Amino acid sequence: MSLQNLSIRRKLILITMLTSSIALLLSSASFLIYDLISFRHLLTQDLTTQAEIIGYNSAAAMAFKDEPAATATLSALMVKGDIVAAVLYSPDGQMFAQYFRNDKTLPAFLPSRSQEKGYRFEGRYLEVWHDVTLNGERLGTLFLQSDMRQWSTRAKRYASICLVFVLISGFLAFLVSSKLQKVISGPIVHLEDTMRMVSAHKNYEVRAVKAYADEIGSLIDGFNTMLSDIQHRDTALRGANEELQTRTRELEEEISHRKQAQDELLKAKYVAEEASRAKSTFLANMSHELRTPLNAIIGYSEMLEEEAHDSATVETVQDLQKIRSAGKHLLALINDVLDLSKIEAGKMSLHLETFDVSGMIEEIVTTLQPAIEKNRNTLRVHLAEDVGMMQADITKVRQILFNLLSNACKFTDHGTISVDVDQSTEQGQDWLRFRVTDTGIGISAKQKENLFQEFVQADTSIARKYGGTGLGLAITHRFVQLMKGRIGVESQPGEGSSFTVHIPAQVKLEAVGPVQAEGDSDASDAIVEVRTGRDTILVIDDDAAVRELMSRFVGKLGFNVLTVASGEEGLRLAKQVRPVLITLDVVMPGCDGWSVLSKMKADSELSKIPVIMVTIVDNEPRGLDLGASNYLIKPVDRERLAVLIEKHRLNRFTTITRTNAVPVSRLSHGHKHGKVDVEVSGRESHDKNLTSRR
Amino acid sequence: MTKILLVEDNEMNRDMLSRRLQRRGYSVVIAHDGEQALSLAATEIPDLILMDISLPVMDGCEVTRRLKADKKTRHIPVIALTAHALVTDRVKAMNAGCDDYDTKPVEFIRLSDKIHNCLLEKKAR
Repeated sequence: MSLQNLSIRRKLILITMLTSSIALLLSSASFLIYDLISFRHLLTQDLTTQAEIIGYNSAAAMAFKDEPAATATLSALMVKGDIVAAVLYSPDGQMFAQYFRNDKTLPAFLPSRSQEKGYRFEGRYLEVWHDVTLNGERLGTLFLQSDMRQWSTRAKRYASICLVFVLISGFLAFLVSSKLQKVISGPIVHLEDTMRMVSAHKNYEVRAVKAYADEIGSLIDGFNTMLSDIQHRDTALRGANEELQTRTRELEEEISHRKQAQDELLKAKYVAEEASRAKSTFLANMSHELRTPLNAIIGYSEMLEEEAHDSATVETVQDLQKIRSAGKHLLALINDVLDLSKIEAGKMSLHLETFDVSGMIEEIVTTLQPAIEKNRNTLRVHLAEDVGMMQADITKVRQILFNLLSNACKFTDHGTISVDVDQSTEQGQDWLRFRVTDTGIGISAKQKENLFQEFVQADTSIARKYGGTGLGLAITHRFVQLMKGRIGVESQPGEGSSFTVHIPAQVKLEAVGPVQAEGDSDASDAIVEVRTGRDTILVIDDDAAVRELMSRFVGKLGFNVLTVASGEEGLRLAKQVRPVLITLDVVMPGCDGWSVLSKMKADSELSKIPVIMVTIVDNEPRGLDLGASNYLIKPVDRERLAVLIEKHRLNRFTTITRTNAVPVSRLSHGHKHGKVDVEVSGRESHDKNLTSRR
Repeated sequence: MTKILLVEDNEMNRDMLSRRLQRRGYSVVIAHDGEQALSLAATEIPDLILMDISLPVMDGCEVTRRLKADKKTRHIPVIALTAHALVTDRVKAMNAGCDDYDTKPVEFIRLSDKIHNCLLEKKAR
């Protein structure tokens, strides 16, 4: 374990011990050195003093050349254990007398001749040279050599004592630091424990205890503050969580409530739809029940009329005509009711075609002539010069004007009825405006409120006086709406009324996204009409005239028509559009009808689409062998084609439930071909018998 | 003389239509219901059948299907007559094998045109 990773406690002890030991050692060493130096100095002085004494004592012996006396004097040094050697040199440098502590062995380093006076350290020895003088005359030189035994003994003793003290003080330092380190490490360890407890048990209520107001104290304060914050947030979070759960529960309840409400609504919707269906069925049945006796009434009166022309009187004929016309009127009323129920059920279709407005007006005026003359009214028609063609559902436009004009005729006596037609542009769109003005009984402000509502006539008394179902204006209004137009009325009671109808010059069906024949070099050759909610029939024929005729004819049957001029293009579009039926010519440039047919029947995606061959080639067995459903030879028998198409449609129809999807798109080049059929919903085709009336 | 089988359950319509057809020079055989229609068609072999679709017991569609399934009567053109204005009835009738249809109340001129066309077509076959 490296030093850095030691615990705080150990670090503190270690630091304390190291510091104190170093200090102790340094101070001991300095004392020791000082003492030894001064002791040596003392020894030197001592030895010098002895040299002076001995020199003085031996001066006489030297002077008298009395060697034994000198030797005896030197021998006195025996008491000094540390004197290793003492030598007296004569002035000529010759050894005069000597003393050696160990007689047997002479010190090897004994100088052979005298040297300068003074002291010097030679190795382990201290040497003193002293001049022996008598009355100022130098008699010789004394040499003393000490082995400083006292000094080394003292040094050893000192060192031992120091060591013992260092050890003792080190031990004490260890004891003290072990006790005192707790002052620092204790709070830190406590803090650590607290921290561990918090993180282990996520218990944010625990607090570290602050022991002292030092840095660790502030650290603990900080830690506690932090804990409080966390605890606070934890509590807040828990609160928020609970709140959230409560809200979630509430939301879930709310959702289940709503779901329940939704279920109830759905149930109600279902009930309403059921009721609506029941109503529609009832109306259909009623119309059947009403039509059956009407059938007899109209039929018999017509028959009698025919017979009466030959035999009976004019009066009888006229009476029969009245019965017949009343019957037809009743039929028209029934048709109105049926129309309205169809509009309400969203089943009313629009059959757009381009027609001449003036021609249509002329036709209406002719038909209405008897009604106009009945009350001796005058009719004025004014067509603006710029009024030409329009694209709309001619039957419905005709009926709108019919209704308005017959109302005008009905409620005007000896007055003037005028029809004004002009064209205008609003918001980038061309509009045709039809205004029917009369000088009749007029409509009050109150009556206006319910004017366009079903079954409400301006006044119930009117029904008695003028007849009618009160459906005319409602149907008119719905028809106008159907063509995205608008209708308005201005009237003063007693002065007359003026109805204004605006219809787009080009009635459009809400486009849902045109599908175009891509990559077709000749755009006019590929006519693509796709409307949602309708089935598509693909016509493959290289003859433009046939394509045009087929597209008109098949379009009338209530289908989208897609025409292409080549077999290759036909195959490509068939995959793209998945028509419900394909009509196929045989003789075509490039890929002929036989190979197109074979490819279709070999393709799993297309093999189920029925193919009707329409060709001048009389080879029915080959066509049927290749998988064609039917084989028609040109010129085409339209009725037969219609029947075949109906049959194929029914096969699909039985599997399709009616949707309320609102329509409808048309697009691209269709309008070039004059007529465009579109229905609002369902796949019902219009019924000529219903829409031609009066 | 061209023979027409009129299948119609409503007495007044039956009477009226048959008289008018006779006035036009057709010979008319009358059936009140589907079963009678089937047996009369088999015995009389008319040139054309006018078939009311809403018949009691066996409806016109079913009768037509049976007629078209029978070798003896298959060739006889059938014109459906229906009071129902809905296209589904028309499709049903056509799918049952009717050659044409008309709605009631009958517009006699239109109906006689259809009869005429059907007969021509039959001759052409």
